[in-house]
Amino acid sequence: MAIIEGCEIPEDRLYYIERTQMTWVKVEDGRITIGATDPAQARAGRILFLRVKPVGTVRERGKPIATVESGKWAGPILAPVGGTIVEVNSEAEKEPTLLNSDPYGQGWVARMTPSAPAQLAELLSGDAALAKFREVITRDQIHCSRNHS
Amino acid sequence: MSEPPASSAPPDPTGKRILMIVTTGPEERDKTYAPFFTAALMAAMEIDTTMFFMMHAPELLKKGTAEKIPLRQGHTLRHFVDMAIENGVKLLACAESCRDLCDLGPGDLLPEVKVVGAPTMADLALDADAVLSF
Repeated sequence: MAIIEGCEIPEDRLYYIERTQMTWVKVEDGRITIGATDPAQARAGRILFLRVKPVGTVRERGKPIATVESGKWAGPILAPVGGTIVEVNSEAEKEPTLLNSDPYGQGWVARMTPSAPAQLAELLSGDAALAKFREVITRDQIHCSRNHS
Repeated sequence: MSEPPASSAPPDPTGKRILMIVTTGPEERDKTYAPFFTAALMAAMEIDTTMFFMMHAPELLKKGTAEKIPLRQGHTLRHFVDMAIENGVKLLACAESCRDLCDLGPGDLLPEVKVVGAPTMADLALDADAVLSF
């Protein structure tokens, strides 16, 4: 687990970091789980609203799979790869602050089956991901202060 | 009046069209933030969202103005203008208001703004699924 400005960056994930996006992807049994990263939730602040596209929705890479609103940010979570939404975290829709308190766990957003698994290779991991996180965290002056206890 | 069942999922708004009429300019700072934030949210929901600025509202779109409007949320208005643009909101300024009330020429406005006449507002309003007024 790397930590940058207090923000946790687990090493067992892939990352989609483009424009406003800082999304994690975990690959399991041919499906991917998608969520917002620690720096993404810190930048947004307390999340008040999450709505995920319904199961069965087919999305190209870069198209919205969910909408997030905090008091100071409103925007989409984009599909990090193309595919079909197969599961939605309805608990997080009911309690969106799970994205703040447990972004890599209970605050996951959606699961998809990728239509072009080769796109997964274009996501960032390892040192390349950390370098990009450092760049964005510095640029946007993000500091994470979750209670890690 | 029957209410929808509480358990039903909200209808997918993708592809619907919303027109927002914005009439408040920098003279009422606290009213400037909500239209941009709401529009940004709706655009993120893939609603085709257009903001139409008239009366003194086009002054918010003058180059260099939004960054001089501090808000209680801890940002300037520019943060929310940029968020709306980033999410794909279309910004239209009323030609008549720009000319007769705001003394603004097309070159005075942010490059993302298109100046159009009032008939365009009528067309958009008739074509929209909902019209919101701020």
